[in-house]
Amino acid sequence: MAKQTVKPSKSGSFVGILVVIAVVGIAAIAYLANGKASKAVTVDPNVPAGAAFGYIRGDSTAPVQIIEFGDFECPSCGQFATVTEPDIRSRLIATGQVALTFYDFPLDMHRNTWAASNSAACAADQGKFWEMHDRLFEGQNEWNTQATKDPVSVMKGYAKEIGLEMSKWQSCVDEAKHLDRIKGNRAEALRRNIQSTPTFIIGDKMVPGAITYDAFKAYVDSAAAAKAPVKAPAKAAAK
Amino acid sequence: MNKRQAIAALSLAGFFLATYLTLYKLGYIGTLACGTGGCETVQLSKWGDFLGMPVAAWGALFYLAMCAAAICAEFQWVASPRLLSRAMTLMSGWGVIFSGWLTWLELARIHAICRYCVVSAVLVFVLFVLSVLELRTQREG
Repeated sequence: MAKQTVKPSKSGSFVGILVVIAVVGIAAIAYLANGKASKAVTVDPNVPAGAAFGYIRGDSTAPVQIIEFGDFECPSCGQFATVTEPDIRSRLIATGQVALTFYDFPLDMHRNTWAASNSAACAADQGKFWEMHDRLFEGQNEWNTQATKDPVSVMKGYAKEIGLEMSKWQSCVDEAKHLDRIKGNRAEALRRNIQSTPTFIIGDKMVPGAITYDAFKAYVDSAAAAKAPVKAPAKAAAK
Repeated sequence: MNKRQAIAALSLAGFFLATYLTLYKLGYIGTLACGTGGCETVQLSKWGDFLGMPVAAWGALFYLAMCAAAICAEFQWVASPRLLSRAMTLMSGWGVIFSGWLTWLELARIHAICRYCVVSAVLVFVLFVLSVLELRTQREG
């Protein structure tokens, strides 16, 4: 076999090309990383109320009222609900510093999310919205678009687990009794120009993404300091 | 630029592409959120991981291995460059199959297309073609 040798000049230019690609690659990642960081935008905290009807957790008179627009099938929302939200509940909500109101924002890309919103709304009828909320996010991979074409059968199991009266829940789900409520919540998200889920409105800041507890707390502190009350859209039910 | 150099250069570019997607998937770049973008849908789907690792991380390892093999072959750092050419052909051939499967998943199951994944699939195909041509050159030599 004829051994091929690399001429020094060709070798130099080849190494040069690799160095250029490496430098451009690192610079591109750094640039994209900077552009992709979660950035809060300032919004009017007194946006007029719409026809939405969220689910509140915490004291409705808490100094900082937070709105979350979430999609039950969104993995980022699932990550926030299972990883960050427990800390928020124990450290901020249970201590009376904040109240969090959840509004459905079912995204078009998620086929089974409407069924989840419907299941949760029907659980709210029996005062167990948050139990269903938590169970749906914990079991997201069991009922999402990739997992099944019959998500309601999986959610039926959750309804039993959390102790709902099944006949009432089932008829509520079958009738899609709360479809207007879910549509109203979604319309509120679109009206506020929400681009992704989860998105939080904390004081006068609109914050997209599954942010960490520390980042969340910083926004809460800032909102508390500014004492800028957020007017929740229409009414929020403590169910 | 000869074929081995082209393989090394394209693999290095692919490595950075896959590294970016891996860092995004792991949450080191930006904050995970579900938007209407196809990449987010694809990355956050249940097929975003393979054997416990993000698919993009497997891609980064693949590109790194291809780049290393091409550089070793170029600088004659191994006794048998032909063996390396065979290895590059096998790796990139497997890459074409894997990318094809991922693209099918995007179209048929996830119903979203990630443009970075498409670029990567094209890159893998080009690497396969170059590897086959390099192997033929080795045989003729």
